[in-house]
Amino acid sequence: MTLTVRHERVIVNSPFPFSRRPGVSRRELLRGAALAGLGPLTLSACAFPVGAPPPPEGGGVPRIAEDGPLEIWIFDGGLGDDYARTIHEPLVAARFPRLRISHNATKEIARTLQPRFVGGDPPEVVDNSGAGAMDLGALVQDGQLTDLTPLYAAPSWDDPAVTVRETVDPTAIELGGYGGRPYVMNYTTTVWGIWYSRPLFEARGWRPPRTWARFLDLCEEVRRSGMAPFTYAGTHPQYIYEPILTLAAKIGGRRVLTDIDNLAEGAWQAEPVRLAATAFAELGARHLLLEGTAGLDHVQTQIAQNRGLVAMLPCGSWLENEQRGSAPDGFGYAMFPLPDFGPSDAMPYGTLHAQPGEEYIVPARSANPGAGLEYLRAMLSRKASGRFTETVSTLTVVRGAAEGLRLTPGLESARAALAAAGGNVVSSMFRRWYSELHDEVAAASGQLMGGAIDADRWAERAQRKADALRADPSVRKFTRR
Amino acid sequence: MNHHRRRFVAGFLAVPVTLYTVYVLSPCAQALVIALTDWRGVNAVPRFVGVDNFRRLLGDEVFLRAAGHNLLLLALVPPLTIGLALLFAWLLTGDGTARRTVRGAGLYRVVFFFPQVLAVVLVAVLFRQILRPDGNGMLNAPLTALGFAPVGPLADTDLALWAVLFVLVWQAVGFYVVLFSAGIASIPRELFEAAAIDGAGGGRLFLRITLPLLRDTVQAGWVYLGVAALDVFAVVWVMTAEHGGPDHSTTVMAAEVYRNAFHYSRFGYACAMGVVLFVITTGFAVLVLRLTRRERIEFR
Amino acid sequence: MAALSHAVLLWWAVLVTVPIVWTFLASVKSEREIFGDAWSLPASVRLDNWARAWQQAHVGRYMLNSVVVVACGTAGTMLLGAMAAYVLARYRFRGSRVVHALFVAGLALPVYLVLTPLFFVVRNTGALPLVGPFIGLNTHGGLVLVYVAFSLPFTVFFLTAFFRTLPETVAEAAFVDGASHTRVFFQIMLPMARPGVVSVTIFNVLGQWNQYQLPLVLLPSDRDRWVLTQGIADISTTAGYDADWGALFAALGMAILPMIVVHALLQGQIRRGLTAGAFK
Repeated sequence: MTLTVRHERVIVNSPFPFSRRPGVSRRELLRGAALAGLGPLTLSACAFPVGAPPPPEGGGVPRIAEDGPLEIWIFDGGLGDDYARTIHEPLVAARFPRLRISHNATKEIARTLQPRFVGGDPPEVVDNSGAGAMDLGALVQDGQLTDLTPLYAAPSWDDPAVTVRETVDPTAIELGGYGGRPYVMNYTTTVWGIWYSRPLFEARGWRPPRTWARFLDLCEEVRRSGMAPFTYAGTHPQYIYEPILTLAAKIGGRRVLTDIDNLAEGAWQAEPVRLAATAFAELGARHLLLEGTAGLDHVQTQIAQNRGLVAMLPCGSWLENEQRGSAPDGFGYAMFPLPDFGPSDAMPYGTLHAQPGEEYIVPARSANPGAGLEYLRAMLSRKASGRFTETVSTLTVVRGAAEGLRLTPGLESARAALAAAGGNVVSSMFRRWYSELHDEVAAASGQLMGGAIDADRWAERAQRKADALRADPSVRKFTRR
Repeated sequence: MNHHRRRFVAGFLAVPVTLYTVYVLSPCAQALVIALTDWRGVNAVPRFVGVDNFRRLLGDEVFLRAAGHNLLLLALVPPLTIGLALLFAWLLTGDGTARRTVRGAGLYRVVFFFPQVLAVVLVAVLFRQILRPDGNGMLNAPLTALGFAPVGPLADTDLALWAVLFVLVWQAVGFYVVLFSAGIASIPRELFEAAAIDGAGGGRLFLRITLPLLRDTVQAGWVYLGVAALDVFAVVWVMTAEHGGPDHSTTVMAAEVYRNAFHYSRFGYACAMGVVLFVITTGFAVLVLRLTRRERIEFR
Repeated sequence: MAALSHAVLLWWAVLVTVPIVWTFLASVKSEREIFGDAWSLPASVRLDNWARAWQQAHVGRYMLNSVVVVACGTAGTMLLGAMAAYVLARYRFRGSRVVHALFVAGLALPVYLVLTPLFFVVRNTGALPLVGPFIGLNTHGGLVLVYVAFSLPFTVFFLTAFFRTLPETVAEAAFVDGASHTRVFFQIMLPMARPGVVSVTIFNVLGQWNQYQLPLVLLPSDRDRWVLTQGIADISTTAGYDADWGALFAALGMAILPMIVVHALLQGQIRRGLTAGAFK
């Protein structure tokens, strides 16, 4: 046995490698003691879980430890993070003064917090949003999230006679569900549409188009005026697959989107999806996109719009708030819903993609999940959600909380569109459930708009990814109706 | 074997070997095991799936493209970097005979080295702005002013990888200029003079004396650049759209490992990718090391 | 000939400096000017970009963290690497080839292979008694140890080769005089190996300074401990959301400036290190 190899082995087997050997000299003993410091290091060198730890206690409702920690992580994106500090945290602190609340913000939720989850030391509340959000499907699958059923069953913050469930938009609760249980609290309601500057359109005599043909006419007219008609965040092509899918739902009905979410066979190759993709690809083919769109990100395109270089872009209702500092005074944001594609559309004019969002979760393995639930309950109070809407120009899922508020033009436009849509609202879940599918569709959509692939190839790529996920037993499946 | 000597050897090796074992070898061994499972997170029970992950890799277009990109970079980054660096080093040190150096040689060397001291991430952020595809980027502003259409290399699936290659070479060249010109400076002057007396001109002196004498330095540089080309991550992850896009046109194996592990929680699959990356890198290194084997001198 | 040389050298010098100069130019521009013509001069020099970057982006702190981590990491690497390399180069004992081969194999080891398990290893070391709080996740100590471990293959490989090339007569004379092995190493062999040590040190400093992946995984949450590369990548994301491009360029400038100054001051040292270097 060679010297070095034995040496290694001894360390691995015993925390006190040299001291057990008979007849060691004093110096060796000393050196052994020094090396003993390294011994435990070696013992901890195994990462792989030998047996998975048991899932968190089922059944019991997490109780708040009133003198425990409440670590909050807010996604510092379009909404900023001040709202949590100024509205929600004081509300909780007033009722539970001994809680040790710590406020944190990041632009990169996954990069910052994923390791904490993996490490078993997650915070109590996470606002899982933004481009760098975590894969919630994987977290649910891992048993990392607290079941929010007790939250919705609890009395509401304002009125003990009413449960939280009764105050919240039911779709929001449904869409926060995984396998029939709510794990995610959607806080905001986001409305998607095509955004423009109302004063600009009025000055030029342009009107929001009601049909696709009129939309193309408008684009040509805008182009003749020397302005680029349309753009989207090219480096984040999900900004363009969103309107494609909404148009597909409008052509073919809600089923189009639920099939996609359910990984149904051939869902991506259904005729309405193909038609919608072809329609949007035509914008690229007819050079109706802002020059360089493919390489610009959301900020760059939005600033281009603020500077009058491009007339329209698809976005969610966070846009106005996000551009607060950049849009010139009187830019006058407004949005219109996707135009009718044809007379045989399954859904009427005004159909909207509106989605509960800003996903709040309470990690199950946090030190004080009960405090996390209380924090969420406070967020859903009328007072908190009303002030939230006023502060960050974003609607919440709390019913009627925005009543009587004075809204900014863009938000008012989105609210009006949502009211006009009535029940004709669609939503989509696969992005949240299967981030791999999302990445593939986004990548393919960029190529579709650039003319590198056609709608058939685009659909084929998406379908292939969906099929692969369906066939992969290691991927947890979700379904919706 | 003498007692003191044995204790000395053990004492000197203990700490480095322990650290290396804990942080490098043991994770490496664990990765090999994880690669055989479909582990998706710390709490999910890993299921042994044999070589499924590897079979799946063979059909994973994105990964195959990533591997292809790495091989392309492996083939191009070392020769381009070393070629340019040799050229500049040669121009800087003159032809060796008169030991006449170009005026401002020192300044050139300092300037050339700049990109090396900027962190790679910084360079990536910088070039993302420089290569902006609209008319306002640093590259496009003069182009559009001259009446050309703006170009968007990072937005073009055919060009984006070349932009990555350019940035890698741009950053690396300076170091090797300094390295090679140091090497040239240490070549005994008499060698050049003797050859010059034989009538060799500048170009021939370079080929017949400089290059052969720099051979080992060039080889070492080649290994280093080759491993770096196989390990590319930061430039791709930070500079390109969609972290390796557009449409996977710049993705590399390291980016796919990171994406699968930390975005998709496919730890097993990611480890399998890592194993493949390891095999390729080892193959390359063994190949080069065989060429650079040297004699050993030992005490007693 | 000389003119042609100058033309070629100047071309590359321009290619290298222009992006850097442009960064400094943009760092004193207003938002509108940045998004306007890229090469226009700013109407007024906006130092407030720098003030914002300094206050909000914590560039100073990131840089200090980087300096601390790289200094400790390189020092540890060189000490341990030289010790191991010396023993492997100069002593014949059973297993030496295996140990050497293991270190050399690490040269080809992609960090990405071990990323996942490494994360857990570091997390587990954080739970050790006494030392845990200093070497777990989100600690500079942990990152330094990992840097050392990952720099060893390269260091050991080149220093082993270097120690083998050193003449043995001096050391033999010392042994005859009764010097201990340890003394021979520290007082004779290590000074003789100085050129090799210096050039490997340069490689390690650059390598560790550039490292992005390891801190990304091992210093995930504690922003105050982030190193410069993490900070810069984050600032560039931040600029995306806040649309504060002036501050982004100011932060870049702030990160670039000290590096260029340090390099300009030490370039002679670097060159001497490489002249005598291990790469012969």
